[in-house]
This record gives sequence, structure tokens and C-alpha cells, in this order.
Amino acid sequence: MNYKPTAKRDLMGIFSRRALILGGTGVGALTAIGGRLVYLQTQDFVDKEYTRAAESNRYDARPIVPRRGVIYDRFGVELAITSPDYRVSIRPEDAKDGVEETIRKVAAYVGLSEAAIQRRLRDVRSKRKFDDVLIKNGLTWDEFAAVNVRLPDLPGVIVEVGQQRFYPYTAAFAHPIGYVQKANQREIDRVEQEDRLAAGLGPKALPGERFESARARYLRHPDVRVGKAGLEASLENELRGEPGVALVEVNAMGRAVGEDLREAKAPKQGAPIITTIDADLQRYAMERMSGESAACVVMDIWDGDLIILGSSPGFDPNQFVNGISGPAFKALNEDPYKPLFHKCVTGAYHPGSTFKLVTGAAVVEAGVDPTWRVNCPGFFPFGGRNFHCWKKGGHGSVDLHDAIKHSCDVYFYQASLRAGPQRIADVARMMGLGQKYDIGVPAVLAGIIPDPPWWRKIGKGEWTPGLTLNSAIGQGDIVSTPLELAVMTSRFANGGLGVVPRLVREGGEPRAVVEPKKLAISEMARKLVLSGMNGVSNEPGGTAYAKSRMALVRDPVSGRVIDAEGAPPGAAEVQIAGKTGTAQVRVITAAERLRGVKRNEDLDWELRDHALFVCYGPVDAPRYACAIVVEHGGGGSAVAAPIARDVMRAVLLADPSARKALTIAALEKQDRQPA
Amino acid sequence: MTTAAGYRSFGERLARLNWGLITVLCAIACIGVVMHFSVTDGSWAGMPLQHASRFGIILVVTLALAILDVRIWLAIAYPLYTLSLLLLVAVEVAGATRMGAQRWLDLGPISIQPSEIMKIAIVLALARYYQGLLDSRRIKPDGLIALIIPLMMIGAPTALIMHQPDLGTALLVAGSGVGVMFLAGLKWRYIVPAAIAAVGGAVYAYFNVLHDYQRERVNVFLGLTNDPLGSGYHVLQSKIAIGAAGLFGHGYLKGPQSQLDFLPEKHTDFIFTMIVEEFGLIGAFVVLGLFAIALALTMTTALRSRTLFGRLAASGVAVTLGLYVIINTSMVIGLIPVVGIPLPLLSFGGTAMLTVMMGMAIVLSIHLHRETSISSRGVLW
Repeated sequence: MNYKPTAKRDLMGIFSRRALILGGTGVGALTAIGGRLVYLQTQDFVDKEYTRAAESNRYDARPIVPRRGVIYDRFGVELAITSPDYRVSIRPEDAKDGVEETIRKVAAYVGLSEAAIQRRLRDVRSKRKFDDVLIKNGLTWDEFAAVNVRLPDLPGVIVEVGQQRFYPYTAAFAHPIGYVQKANQREIDRVEQEDRLAAGLGPKALPGERFESARARYLRHPDVRVGKAGLEASLENELRGEPGVALVEVNAMGRAVGEDLREAKAPKQGAPIITTIDADLQRYAMERMSGESAACVVMDIWDGDLIILGSSPGFDPNQFVNGISGPAFKALNEDPYKPLFHKCVTGAYHPGSTFKLVTGAAVVEAGVDPTWRVNCPGFFPFGGRNFHCWKKGGHGSVDLHDAIKHSCDVYFYQASLRAGPQRIADVARMMGLGQKYDIGVPAVLAGIIPDPPWWRKIGKGEWTPGLTLNSAIGQGDIVSTPLELAVMTSRFANGGLGVVPRLVREGGEPRAVVEPKKLAISEMARKLVLSGMNGVSNEPGGTAYAKSRMALVRDPVSGRVIDAEGAPPGAAEVQIAGKTGTAQVRVITAAERLRGVKRNEDLDWELRDHALFVCYGPVDAPRYACAIVVEHGGGGSAVAAPIARDVMRAVLLADPSARKALTIAALEKQDRQPA
Repeated sequence: MTTAAGYRSFGERLARLNWGLITVLCAIACIGVVMHFSVTDGSWAGMPLQHASRFGIILVVTLALAILDVRIWLAIAYPLYTLSLLLLVAVEVAGATRMGAQRWLDLGPISIQPSEIMKIAIVLALARYYQGLLDSRRIKPDGLIALIIPLMMIGAPTALIMHQPDLGTALLVAGSGVGVMFLAGLKWRYIVPAAIAAVGGAVYAYFNVLHDYQRERVNVFLGLTNDPLGSGYHVLQSKIAIGAAGLFGHGYLKGPQSQLDFLPEKHTDFIFTMIVEEFGLIGAFVVLGLFAIALALTMTTALRSRTLFGRLAASGVAVTLGLYVIINTSMVIGLIPVVGIPLPLLSFGGTAMLTVMMGMAIVLSIHLHRETSISSRGVLW
């Protein structure tokens, strides 16, 4: 069979047709490609999505850290500032002599342990070769200068001046001001989560996903610290300021190319904060309390300004700024004097006899005749047992004035039965105990004022009158903070106004000034209590009489408080009036009495009583209230009263409330006119 | 029986080459050099010079091969195919793994990629087969056997290349082969069911044959996974670059995406993106236009050839080149999933350039000898 010719003709003909089809297909494909190109660009012309994406590819928005706001005392003393931080870093790709070699050379000038050198080398390995790695910060000027002059011989080494938070008075303001630290991983993760959710992404990063939380990046910046304690923590948002943004042109690896650094948004400095503290007085109080585990609160009884908020011992907040070492932190944390603990607001102590002011007011409020007298034989039999007075032989016949003056327990046992537990608790709360005061520091505690409803609430069942007796003298379940005790004293002294303490005068968010309301306490009750307090301090026989001699007089000409020594004759004495307190930490048992343990001093330190003292002054024109607690100090009159006297003496002499405080307006004026 | 249509002298043959086609190819290669100058941030040393010198050498070889008698190509078609197939098997057994795929055969100082030779070999071998079929008395052209033999010729190398794995080259080899079969008059009654089978095969391949990274690319393309830093990163960055380029581009040496290294593989598979970014839509159309002219000239050569071998071989080369261009450009603009296929003469790297230019040598030879007729007796094998 011969089909060759036809087959050949067929194939040649088919080829031409097929070539046409194929060519057409090719033209079609190229048209589609051209069309797609046009489409991509037209689409971009409309929505600019690709243009924007290309821009964000090219520019890396790098945060510029703002200066943290300065924290001032009431007169403008800087308590927390942002100071220059001299630091030395290495850019590995430029270190021509080798990274380790270079780091070791620098270490010789700035002092760096072998362990630290190894850590830096690990840092270098974990980063990109064009990322700067910090070798050391916090250099002294001499160290900084030593590296600086040798820079030509240290290729790849970079010296910089950054910023660092600094607390010039170290331990004196550690508790109210607090400190800053680097954000920890948990905080960084938290803001990253928030930003992810805000961006509509899932909580977990998918592999290869290109999302970066600007806030997390900011927190990772080497200059950024966040408040971790005190005002630094609670006013973080105001002190931080607003980070700026620098747009740096970068390549895909994140390396900055060229010098094309333009500032897209300038950082906004953090708000200055003016506190109520008087730096000099606070430092004096801290010094006076040194060696003790103690708290001292002094407040203005009219506007609530906390002149002193001291918790002893202090600690140096500067050591937290760059990360405290493990052993140093352990030492602070395990110290039995609890330096990290803000005793003024977080320490809860039995108010002891200082609570008798409340019980005394309550019994008058209950309608009991103020001349009502009680015979104190040294004990009070009640409910089948004897409730003892602190004085073995008893006080004999006492009225309210005497009872406060001598701190007679038996009077208040009986008075509490007449006033009733609910009235006592109500007066206590009205006078400011058992309340939480938001003074702007974290972890402010509210004390506990037991009463029948509370007793039921915590599941202890029905209240018994024995509990009333215990509460009446500030023992049992009742606890208060030194801040609450200062508020209570203020409210008695200021004519029964519900003053509220404050730590921040001005700065940051506008702060509402609350005019204190008149409390529902009768003048009679209040005056009787104050008269009792005067007896304590200024009448022979008062529990703090010997420890309350102020040696101050009022200048008859200027009316100011001056030292009694060398004062013109006839000038009126200036006094304080107070109330001692001793809070039992542990009852001395019968067995211990047998072993010869009779007095508090015979017990181990941590089992001794807490010493308390509350007072106000000057008696003739009340202005300041003070509360002192000395942990395991023993008796209130022996230990707490002398501290209160010395601190109050300094306060009355300085009279900070009478002097003009710094204002934000004045600060801004200062900034406008550079010296 | 007729001898060569008779250009005797070397010079005469050279003068009668298809210089139009050569000019277009040179123009494309020059654009390549210019783009590599931009890739290296404006320096002649390195890529641009290498690209230029490589093209120069290959061009000389191409011109030398172009003046060979077309019957020599016919004669070496089967041996070349057999050799390539054997080399592919050798790669399978002893190939070196480069960039995660077993593609190269190290022969001392030179390493060769047999799959590239196969792109040309398959075209020549199929053209040779259909030429032989024309004169065959044993095989019926319309019969089943005439269909199965070329399918096997295509299938064997495709399977081997697929296994390396090199999806792009496998597609090119299979595509070029099927293209030649189509041009040789494959009956529509076979084409339609085969197309259906191909779709089925693709689905089967997706689940059972493709490697994870290949499947991932398909997934990204189909929008099944959103992975802007992984497989999708290339295309996303490429689309950003093209979309933001506008009509005239950002200007030479000024493409932000490519100059700042956001665009990966910009000197190889994604060079087209860089061209668009720097020269805009105009630049893209110029490049596509040059390729279109090259393809048109090749097809013209095919249509003017008097032999079936010449027609099929030339058009087969056109199919190969066309597939290169269409697959590469479609890929960078996100029309199809990413397959590693360079843009010939523009992308950096000698293999694709060599493959395409060898194909062009055949086309030029066919053009030169378009009047030469071939009889089965003139064929020794």
C-alpha cells in the first residue's frame, strides 16, 4: 500500500494550520501577560497599594526614645532624672581585628569580667553582623574618654551617649518614686499580642509572617525602661512621653543604607511630675529611722499633701535600672528588715493603743457622758476571764481624757461595750481607717476594721463581745497602714474634715482637687480626743510626755516656729500632741514567764512588739500629722515617740506647707527662658 | 538526491544567514547586560561583563553551527537524544545535588545539566521521527504505534527530570515535545481526551508526585496558604515592584525594590521584574516585543522550510523559546505558580542561554538550507 504522497501533502498542510493555531496561542499568552502588567499598574494607580507596600519596604520606622519626665519634690528638687549614659558598642562587620580580640581590648579599658565577655560574644553571634552589640554602658567619664581616644586603633568600636534614668538621692525616695527597669519578655509579649489582635491577626505568629508590633519594638530598644515600682510604675504613661519615629532607608536585610535618615516624627518628652514630698524632710526622716525597720508618714492635715513618705531601710533604685544581679536582689529580698517593702502603704500593723482615739470618739458619739469614769484595778473580768490593763496595778479612776493620756486599757474595754462594735467600726472608717487611698503608687493596701458583718463574711460566725474588747485597744484582727493612721490623725486634728492624702501635686494628667467634706463626728468627741492627745504629750504623766519636748517656740514677731534656744523670752512654746501604741506581735506565754522571759527585750527581734506613735502639730495651729511605726521596736513611747518628735520638729521648723511650691506653669516658664 | 542548494563559500553562507533574527537575539542579550549592570549596583566587573562575554562566545559557536548543513542536524538527532537520555540516567545514579536538586553531572572541571541538552534533543528527535515516518512503509502515520513512540520519547526524559526534581525543565521538555506532536498533525480525537487526562494527571501529580516545596508554591498561587515570607515572598515582592513601577518605571539603576535587595533572584528568574521596575510598562513591552519578533522570525523560517524535519525542528525551537518566555513572565507577575524557569538571554547563567542559542543555531541552519530537500535515502540511520 502506498499512501506516501497523500500523507506527505497532508502533513505539510496540517503543519501550516497547526503553526497558525500555535502562533495564535502564543500571541494570546503574550497579550494576557501584557494585560496583566497593565492591570497591576492600573490597580496601583487607583489604590496605591503596591506603591505603599514598596514605601514601607524601603523605610524602616525606627523608634526615637523620648526623655522620661523628671520627678520633682514639692520645691523642685529633682528626685528622678534622665542623665546621659556613656556606652561602648561593637559593630561586628567592621571589627577588622576580630570581634573577640576587639572586645577584649575594650574590656581592658572599661573593666569587664570574663563571664561578661563571653555573654557579649554570645550576643554577637545571635545578631546580624551589621547590628551594633552593646559591650558596656554606664561608663564613667574617664572610661568613656579612654575608649574614645583609642577609637582609631579599635575598628568596629562605637562610643555613644544614650540616656539613663538616675535617682540622685539613691535610697531616700526609693519607695514613693520607685524605679524603672527593662521591659521583661512577658510585657513585650503582652503588647505584641494586643497589637496583633488590633491588626486583626491571630494571637500566635505564623512562620514567616511579616508583622512587627511597633510597641514591642519600642520596648526592646536598649534605651527604653519602664516603671516597675512607685510613681515610676503608676505614672508610666505620663512619664514616658511619646516615642518619635525615624524613617531609615533600609535594604531587605534591615541594614540602613546611605545617610538618608530623616526624622519623621520628633519624640515628645515625658511630663514632669511634681510630688508633694519635701526632699530635705524625707531625707532627714530616712536618716533618723536608719537602723530600724520603720515607716514614717507626715501629711498636711488640710490638703492631704504627703510631706514625708519614708520606709526604712531604703534601697538604691539605681541598681535596678540596668538589671540588678541575682545575689544583690536575693540579699534585698531576704533581708528581715524588708527594704523592698513599702511599709507606709503596704505594711499592715495592729494599730494598738493608737486605735483608742477611735474607741474614745465612738463612746462619746454613743451618747455616754464625757465625765463618765471607770475604775481600773489593772484588769477587767469579762466573759469568764480577765482582760488585763498594760499597767499591773491599774490606773484607778479615769475619765476619757485620763484614759487616753495614760492609755488605760480597762477604760476602753468598758467604753467599747457601751459604744458597741458597729459604732466603733463606723467611726474608724469615717476617720479614714480600713480605706484604700489611691495616692499614685502601686500596691496600696486597705487595712481591716472588724465588725459583725465582716466577721460573718469571713465565715467566723457570730460576733462575740470579747472581740469588741480586743478591737477597742487595736488588737485582734484589726490592722491599719501607717498612711491610714496619718489620715486618721489628720481628720481628728483638722476639725473633722475628710481629707484624703495625695502624693502628686501636679503634672501629667490633670488631677482633680477634692475639697474635703465635713465628717459626721461631733465637735465634743473630737475635742475630747485631742485633749487626751495633748495630755499624752504635754501633761506630766502622759505616756509620751518625756519624749515630746520639742524645744520650739513661736516667734512673737513673725509668728514662725523657731528654735527655743536663743529665742526671745516670753515666746509661746510650740507643741505636738500624740498617742502612743504598742502592737503585740506575740503574747508572752506562761511557759516563757517561768523561763524568765518577762520583758519584750528578752524575745527574739522578730517576736518583739511593734512601736507606734501618731501625732499632730503645732497644737495651737494644727498643720501636720505624723504616723510612725517601728517594726519590733518595743514600746511606742520609748521608740516611736522620739522619732516622731525629731521628725515633727524638723517639719515644724521647715513648715513646707507655708512655702510656695513649684508649679508646672513655673517649670514651663523656666524652659522658655533658658538661663 | 539533490545536494545542498549550493552556497559553496563560507563567506557566502555567512552573509545569507538570517541576520534579522541574530540582531533581535543580540538586542535581548544586550538588555541583559544592561540589567546586570544595574544588579551589581553600577559596576561592570562581575555579572555584566560575564554575561556579555558568555553571550559573545556562545554567539560565535552558534554562527559556526548555523552554517552546518541541515542534514547533519538530522543525522545527529537520534544520537543526541540517546546520549541525553543516558546522561539523565547517569545524573539519577551519580548526580551532584545543587540547590536541593539533583541536576548536574560533574565531569571533572565541567559540570553539565543533561536536562538542558534534552530540551533541544527532544525537538530534534521528534522532528527526525516524523520526517522518518513520512518515508516509512512499516509504520502507519495515523496508527496507534505512530502515536505511542513519540509519547514514550517524551515521557522517558520528562519522568527522569521530574524526579530530580526540576519541575520547570520537565514542563519545558514535555511542552516542547507535545508542541512538536501537535504541529506534526496529532489528531484532535487524541488531543481532547489527552487534555482531559492531563488535567486529571495534574491533580494526581499535585497530591502524589510534587515535592512539598512545589506543592507549597501551587498552594500559595491558588491562595490556599498565605505566606508572604515563604514561597509567596518572591511573587509578592515582584508584584509590589511591578505594581509600583508605573508607565516609565523608576529609572535605570533606581528600582527601589531591586536595588535594596527586597527582590530575590532578581538577576536570574526575576530579572523581568527588575526591567519593569526600572523601565516601567514601556520596558516590559519592549522586551516582550523583542521576544515576539524572535518567535515570529523562527516560525517564518519554519513555514518557509521545504522539509518536514526543518519545519518541525524550527517550530519546536520556537515552542521551547515561547514556553520559556511565557512561563517566566507569567510567573513573576503572579499569573501562574512559581516554577524555576529563567528568561533566556536576560537571566544570568549560561545554561538557558546555551540551550536557546543552540536551538537558534538549528533555526538559522534551517533558514540557510530552507531549499534543501531530504529523502529517506539521504539519512544514514
